[in-house]
Amino acid sequence: MEYLLETDNITKRYGKITAVDHVNIHLKKGEIYGLIGRNGAGKTTLLKMLAGLAKPSEGSYSIFGESEKETARLRDRIGVLIESPGLYPNMTAFENMKIKSLMLGMNDDSFLKELLTDVGLDSRTEKLKVKQFSLGMKQRLGIAMTLVGHPDLLLLDEPINGLDPQGIVEIRELIARLSKERNITILISSHILEELSKISTRYGILHNGQMIDEFTHSELLKRCSERIELRPSDATKAVTVIEKMGITEYKVLDKSVIQIFERLEDSGEIVLELAKNNIKTLGIAVKNEALEDYYLSLTGGANKREENGKE
Amino acid sequence: MFNLIKMNLYRMRHAVSTWVIAIVTIVFAFMQFGSLKLLLDDPFHMFDAGEGAEMLGFSTVGGEHIITTLLHNSNILIIAAVFVVLFANAEHKSGFDKNLIGITNHKWKHALARWISAVIGMTCILAIGFVVLFGLCALFMNSFSFGSAAAMLKSAGFLYLGMVTFSAIFFFFTTLFKSSAGGIVASLVISLGILNLIEQLLDLAVNKIFSHPAYVPSDFFFDNAYMTFDASGAGMKAGLVFVAICLVYLALSVGGSMLLQQKRDVR
Repeated sequence: MEYLLETDNITKRYGKITAVDHVNIHLKKGEIYGLIGRNGAGKTTLLKMLAGLAKPSEGSYSIFGESEKETARLRDRIGVLIESPGLYPNMTAFENMKIKSLMLGMNDDSFLKELLTDVGLDSRTEKLKVKQFSLGMKQRLGIAMTLVGHPDLLLLDEPINGLDPQGIVEIRELIARLSKERNITILISSHILEELSKISTRYGILHNGQMIDEFTHSELLKRCSERIELRPSDATKAVTVIEKMGITEYKVLDKSVIQIFERLEDSGEIVLELAKNNIKTLGIAVKNEALEDYYLSLTGGANKREENGKE
Repeated sequence: MFNLIKMNLYRMRHAVSTWVIAIVTIVFAFMQFGSLKLLLDDPFHMFDAGEGAEMLGFSTVGGEHIITTLLHNSNILIIAAVFVVLFANAEHKSGFDKNLIGITNHKWKHALARWISAVIGMTCILAIGFVVLFGLCALFMNSFSFGSAAAMLKSAGFLYLGMVTFSAIFFFFTTLFKSSAGGIVASLVISLGILNLIEQLLDLAVNKIFSHPAYVPSDFFFDNAYMTFDASGAGMKAGLVFVAICLVYLALSVGGSMLLQQKRDVR
């Protein structure tokens, strides 16, 4: 089993609206997968399908190496937190946890208390009803709820949504700790790439229901790091020239732009070498990008593609 | 399934609405006792001799009458409707279903377990009402005699089956509308006999088309069948017809709820 979770052109339609459009994601065991997309990009719908709350209109998925149908019997190994945590407001945190544990046939109250302590809901909150909780406390309880069945996989939908900066840091640290200490594979969605980049090991960018890119953390760092962005008159020939110069870390975008991630101080030498080979340099610049700018460039690019398609 | 029922009963025990409805049932039992006492014992000498008994149709209160007074009553139906609707919809309303439904392999089990739990809760609440009313009558009614246990069990059996069927219908409408308001409105329309008007119109239409038909539509509407059923005096044939109607509505309502739960996405 190469991937713990994998989708194959998974699609969800609501009438004429396609919320998720032939999406393929790949998640390895132990990874924290950051699913990034704007509001309405299809993140929640995708997670709902993976959580068994919604049926795909087309395509399929496999979890723990088992097909969608077979996954049904392994669902107690998956912890799910979709949108805001679903909690009974007139009950305490423990009582909410107890409900889920009873369903799973568990009868270990001390484990539930341990989980509450783990997520930072200690004895001081013991007697409080959930309706008296702050948003951050509710999110932490929501995460504790997902851990009740000793899951191997967590599906967390926007767990930092609406939290203050302090709350965001706490939830982020909690998720990182869970992954490390309990060896849980986590699929987490958010519209804030900056936040996910602090914990995720792999990313998928979802835009208007489509997966427009999937990359690892090191690839993300590379893409956002300093680089030479070169626009030659002939990119194919230019690649041969820069390879002859011993440059190996480069990437060709849109068949016209070459990003070079090494020897950033040698831009003059590169232009000269290209000129010697009768290749014009139409533009050259040393660039680096903030994560959010990178994300915007990706989704902005997708918008442009859509517009072109319409034309 | 057993775990799901256990979970639902735990939730029921910790829900404020359960205890509020239990208290309302006790108050209702007191009110029923008050009216029986006024009519039969007549402590304020408001009626001529035997007038109260004539109005009620019996002169001494026994177990069978207590059952009929308690269960054959639109007020208790409304209490049951509110209880079932609130309980059935709480999981969806709070969003708690998102924590649970994905982790079971058959979603329909949730609907079945929730309905069974609602019936258990409703039975407990009715039992409380019965114990209170029975206790009050036994202690404070001059005209109380236990009566025939067999007659009491016969009435209890028929009317309890009717209440269980009502609970299934209320449950179905709550599942269908996914809202307490929708469920309560549908349940009140049934409990308050508002459907009777439509049923009477249907009967009239059938009578116009077929002169002297052997059956009329209202015989097969559950609310009408329940309210007009004479639980203590019913013979074998009438009893069997009533049981058959109950079972058909029960199966359709529970089956429909399970199907809705299985087929629908959780939103």
